[in-house]
Amino acid sequence: MDRRVALIKEFYLGLPTDRVKLEASAFGFEFLSQLQAHGMQLEYGELTLSKVLHKYKLANITQTQMYELLAWHVAKLCNVCLYFDRRANSVLAFNLDNNHATNGSRLIPEVQLAVRTLVEKLNELDCKPLVIASGRGYHIWCRLRAAIANDRLYRFMLHTAAGALLTLQRRGLDPNNMKFTLYPDLRIQDLVSLRLFGSEHAKNQVFSRILVGDDLLDEEASWAYFEDYLESNTLALDTFDKAYDAVVTSATPVIAKAS
Amino acid sequence: MLLARLRTIAVDLDDTLNNFTQTLHETPFVYHNRYALEPALFDEYLDRLRTDPWAVEELLSTEFSYFRAKIHLECYQRAQARADGIAFMQWLKREGWRTVICTHRDLRTSYDTTKAWLERNEIPFDYIFRAGNKIVFCKLWGIDILVDDHLFNIQHGGRYGVRVFYPVNDLNRTVREDGARGFQTFDQIKSWIAE
Repeated sequence: MDRRVALIKEFYLGLPTDRVKLEASAFGFEFLSQLQAHGMQLEYGELTLSKVLHKYKLANITQTQMYELLAWHVAKLCNVCLYFDRRANSVLAFNLDNNHATNGSRLIPEVQLAVRTLVEKLNELDCKPLVIASGRGYHIWCRLRAAIANDRLYRFMLHTAAGALLTLQRRGLDPNNMKFTLYPDLRIQDLVSLRLFGSEHAKNQVFSRILVGDDLLDEEASWAYFEDYLESNTLALDTFDKAYDAVVTSATPVIAKAS
Repeated sequence: MLLARLRTIAVDLDDTLNNFTQTLHETPFVYHNRYALEPALFDEYLDRLRTDPWAVEELLSTEFSYFRAKIHLECYQRAQARADGIAFMQWLKREGWRTVICTHRDLRTSYDTTKAWLERNEIPFDYIFRAGNKIVFCKLWGIDILVDDHLFNIQHGGRYGVRVFYPVNDLNRTVREDGARGFQTFDQIKSWIAE
């Protein structure tokens, strides 16, 4: 198996692999027939407005097929986007996007400041995050040694994200310019997927580079950093529990008082 | 070889196979906290939605766009299927056509609702696709027939080799066509696609 595929499998372990959103430039009924010939089921497809990018929501995927899709992913033939487990996950992600309909790949000050604030906060909590350029903004991932119930993950992210939004407001920036999505989100967990590290963005052909400090690493350095992060920065559960207590439990009386 | 011989047709949903706009205007939507809005904003947003259901905004994700998605989803569930549309889709299936439901809907949030509605109304289909530009989609996928009410498709389909058949309504009644043909009943299309 390709080393990069093995790393991705390991990092995203626990995310359901029987369904996927595939982003690809490939299209046509013959292409669909190839996907479906081995039992994959197309729920729906999409042609996006910008450039010729097709998205396919596929279900009923076997492990072997998932390996093949991930091999395509690292070969930059497509993007694999995975959904989150409905009950518990061992990864969480903040998705920060430019919220403007036009020129959406432009990096705006709101996203830059929110990323910086979130990274500082997560580091302060000993939850060192992995920050990946997404094309419209950044995905900020944390990885845990075991799965945690979604409602607990979501509460942690919600409180942490609220802190970042407060910082934006204090600096006079408009949070509405940024779209903030949390994964897993209990309300939309079966609806939205997140692109995995390790491929070129199908829309703009830019590799999913990793952000360290203010610098975006190149492709080779990003893979090295990804491997190192996987080995060294996966969170122990007690570390997450402490972070949760610091962010959620200690904040509750303040919220209650405010309301 | 079999794939090459199959004739394919793309068919729109909203205001083509169903009465989406009528549903949007006539459904007595009632305020509920699931809309996550103040009651006064609910009325304002509902008026705005009915005046311009597909308004393009500068920001992608807003309180209004969230509200619109919720109301649209309710309309997708409540809309009535055209009886002649159902019969036409069933006829296509019997005649061996490959049918693609081609819609503007955000299928991430509406796929389950859309599929359930099609099944409930016994409308057969082979694929469901969302396309921002249906002419481009049809051109890319080798589909030369599109049934759709939207002005853009009526006006531009012919130029790109896509024959567009549209249900005549108040918005497209006076449109200058480029090879597109308006119909009163889906039955009319049967002879046109045999040409």
